[in-house]
Amino acid sequence: MAALAVTLVTGAARAQPGAPTPPMITVTGEILDTWCYLSGVMGQPDAVRGSAHHTCAVWCAAGGIPVGLRTDDGTLYMVLKLEGGSSVDGNPRILSIQANRVTARGQAYARDGLNYLVVDRVVEDLGLVNRNHTDFGVIPPFAIPDDVVERARRP
Amino acid sequence: MIAWSTLRRALCGAALLLLPSMAALAHAGHRHDRRAAPEAVAPAPAPAPPLAAFPVPVGVDFALVDQTGAPRRRADFAGRHVLLFFGYANCEAICSAAIPAMIETLDSLGTAGAAIDAVMITVDPARDTPEGLRQGLAKYGPGIIGLTGDVAALVPVWRGFHVSVTPVGHDPLGQPILAHGSFLFLLGPDGNVLTLLPPVLPPERLASIIRGYLR
Repeated sequence: MAALAVTLVTGAARAQPGAPTPPMITVTGEILDTWCYLSGVMGQPDAVRGSAHHTCAVWCAAGGIPVGLRTDDGTLYMVLKLEGGSSVDGNPRILSIQANRVTARGQAYARDGLNYLVVDRVVEDLGLVNRNHTDFGVIPPFAIPDDVVERARRP
Repeated sequence: MIAWSTLRRALCGAALLLLPSMAALAHAGHRHDRRAAPEAVAPAPAPAPPLAAFPVPVGVDFALVDQTGAPRRRADFAGRHVLLFFGYANCEAICSAAIPAMIETLDSLGTAGAAIDAVMITVDPARDTPEGLRQGLAKYGPGIIGLTGDVAALVPVWRGFHVSVTPVGHDPLGQPILAHGSFLFLLGPDGNVLTLLPPVLPPERLASIIRGYLR
């Protein structure tokens, strides 16, 4: 199975004739799971971010669901690549920063009413700043099995 | 055929995510308000300036076989639009949502949708033999063309479309769970990428975007 692991080609875009170069931007915001955040299936958007949704977000990212970066003004960037052209899905680096507040620099694309970001570098990782589990608990509750919670509570 | 609307069930990577009633999605520069109608958050865009080149492939060729065992090359799709996804037939995560969404999207486009091929190129050639694809994709109905091949034939295609494939664990039956790129690619009649689309968008939103590329 290891033979299936594929390293991405370095993400140099093949420019289309006459197309402008995408702007390089630096944005700060929270890494999140776009499916749960956009769908609303698990409640209000604020509940499917931060520490409340961290476990689910890790699973979603591992499963190939696109990862987003949400800035403080609510703009959502779909993260296409991360640092050096690496893909996002299954990328240990993206799993390690799920729900974290980061400052990222990268090329921005706007297409079809959506924003995309090819992250050249995570400039700063501020960690899991949004500790909203105290407000919402674990979203969804089954993201962390009961027995795991129980074991964690034992002295 | 499994409809998108019937797939609002557990997903989230290793089956943690409930698929949504996606009433509305956010778009560039707008705050998210899923209680609003899609039209309310996605106004018709003004004429746009030239777009930056998307980091997507140009001219990736392939020579694969479909779920009937018939050879399929990129050239076979010439003259038709293609909605392309990378996944595997037994995937219970993003594929089980994205493929029905693709089919429902094209269905909703009516005649225009019938002129678009929905194609899944496997990221799991070990299990997705032509027969494996035939059996695994049957649950989605006849609307999806599955393509497979040996690793040597597939790797250049994965690389060309910047799709990575990473084993991340095993399911309860001991079968591998593969993390893989999940963006949808809309290819034009010349085979080149017109745009890419997040699979998290609801079919009506996907159809709206695709319709814009058919004019």
